[in-house]
Amino acid sequence: MARRSERAPLGLDLLLGLVLAAMVCALFWWVFSNLDTAWGWSRAWDFRQSLWRGWLVTLELSAGALAGSCVVAGLLVAGQRTRYRSLRWFSRAFVELVRGMPLLTLVLIGYYVVFAQSQVAGLLDRFGVGSKLWTGAALLSVFTGAYLSEILRGGLESIPQGQIDSARAVGFDRFQVFRWVVMPQALRRVLPALAGQFVSLVKDSSLLSVIGVQEFTAQARAFNSATYGGIEAFLPLAAGYLLLTLPLAGVAHAMERHFRYQM
Amino acid sequence: MDIDAQRLTRRYGALAALDGLSLEVERVKVLALIGPSGGGKSTLLRVLGGLEGADEGEVSINGTVLSADERQLLAWRRRNGFLFQQFNLFPHLTARRNITLPLEKVHGRTAAEAERVADESLERFGLTAHGHKLPAQLSGGQQQRVGLARAIASGPEILILDEPTSALDPEMTAEVLELIGELAAGGQDIILSTHEMGFARAVAGHVAFIAAGKVAEHGPSGELFAAPKEEMTRRFLSKVMRFA
Ligand SMILES: Nc1ncnc2c1ncn2[C@@H]1O[C@H](COP(=O)(O)OP(=O)(O)OP(=O)(O)O)[C@@H](O)[C@H]1O
Ligand SMILES: [Mg+2]
Repeated sequence: MARRSERAPLGLDLLLGLVLAAMVCALFWWVFSNLDTAWGWSRAWDFRQSLWRGWLVTLELSAGALAGSCVVAGLLVAGQRTRYRSLRWFSRAFVELVRGMPLLTLVLIGYYVVFAQSQVAGLLDRFGVGSKLWTGAALLSVFTGAYLSEILRGGLESIPQGQIDSARAVGFDRFQVFRWVVMPQALRRVLPALAGQFVSLVKDSSLLSVIGVQEFTAQARAFNSATYGGIEAFLPLAAGYLLLTLPLAGVAHAMERHFRYQM
Repeated sequence: MDIDAQRLTRRYGALAALDGLSLEVERVKVLALIGPSGGGKSTLLRVLGGLEGADEGEVSINGTVLSADERQLLAWRRRNGFLFQQFNLFPHLTARRNITLPLEKVHGRTAAEAERVADESLERFGLTAHGHKLPAQLSGGQQQRVGLARAIASGPEILILDEPTSALDPEMTAEVLELIGELAAGGQDIILSTHEMGFARAVAGHVAFIAAGKVAEHGPSGELFAAPKEEMTRRFLSKVMRFA
């Protein structure tokens, strides 16, 4: 945060703001005036229901994968910090394999090699989690979880040993050291990176259309190919994703302020 | 307090920070550990305080035998108070919360009780105006005083201080040493390591000179400072007291 004395002069600040706003407006005007198609918003209106359904699927996918990725990340962090060397190596290898693959590859392999196998699919169906939505959320959880686990691990390892000594010295047990001293400080440090990863997750969910999940992007594409309407499909798409990602970023910033303290 | 340490060894890789150290003292109120840097003072304090176990040897304090069992060490740590050279306070908590949190979570006090105790000890140490501040907003001396307030808030059996003033400038050193002196005068059992020889002589009843992981010599502070028996102690004292 800029201290008062470090603030820029107000007049210059305003001028700069006006110039930037004008530039953005000019850019938009230029782009839209060069689009030679006539607006066809009525077609978009006709497709509103499938777009809405797609948006809801994306919301469900994102919410499910957000929770799922936290579980996966927690397991991977625990796995990499345990006393058991075999478990550490396994977790390490898992993280590196998942991070080393493009999401598309992971999704295709995960779906066709694992989830689409008839035994697996049958088993999942029995528990009522056999749908593509569940599969997609699971794959996205694994992918994002691997990244989250590295962020969290970095945060935990950045807490100096002196803090852990102090915490043990006041009589905290292992769990309390983690709960009251290590975790709050680590969380504060990694919050911006976590938020970025969650925003990525929302956007990455668009890739799940390759296994037939009818999410937002898939619906917009279907609309686009059915009507040849270009921009009318993609503007709602952009708006729909921002509607998910901006609140996420907002929550993250609010949490940063809540956890703010000077180091 | 009574301390009976026998042939304590603590190794870090190939290096023996404690190398068969033995120390027997009885009915001592304040014990000061002095000696050259790297001699093993901090390591001995960590073992005595139950922060880590020794690799070999036995130690019992006031009749409690310290084992290598983490549960038993935890119980022992909870009976005592610690203050290190620096980085004692939790930077994400206010000074007051630094004191109340262990009282609530470790010593089972209610929030209201913990706050009452915290406010009392903050007042006693002249910190009432600073209770709401985060550690980063306090001077080094204030931080150590809060650390001291936290260490004694639970009424520790033994207060263990590892060079509590060596990160402070002379003025802040004086204000912290004064508080430690008051605690000693109030009957608190204390084990401390220090490079403040004047303070050790004035406040500690008993002094142990530690070098190369062993107790080279120990005795009542008046005797040890006036007439050190070992050549090593004499040389150390003449060096550090040259400008005192
Ligand atoms: N965690 C550790 N890992 C490796 N070596 C260590 C560790 N802690 C201490 N040592 C080593 O053990 C020896 C004794 O260290 P210790 O901190 O006990 O000495 P000290 O007497 O407290 O010194 P000082 O007066 O400088 O604080 C030193 O050589 C030190 O480098
Ligand atoms: Mg030391």
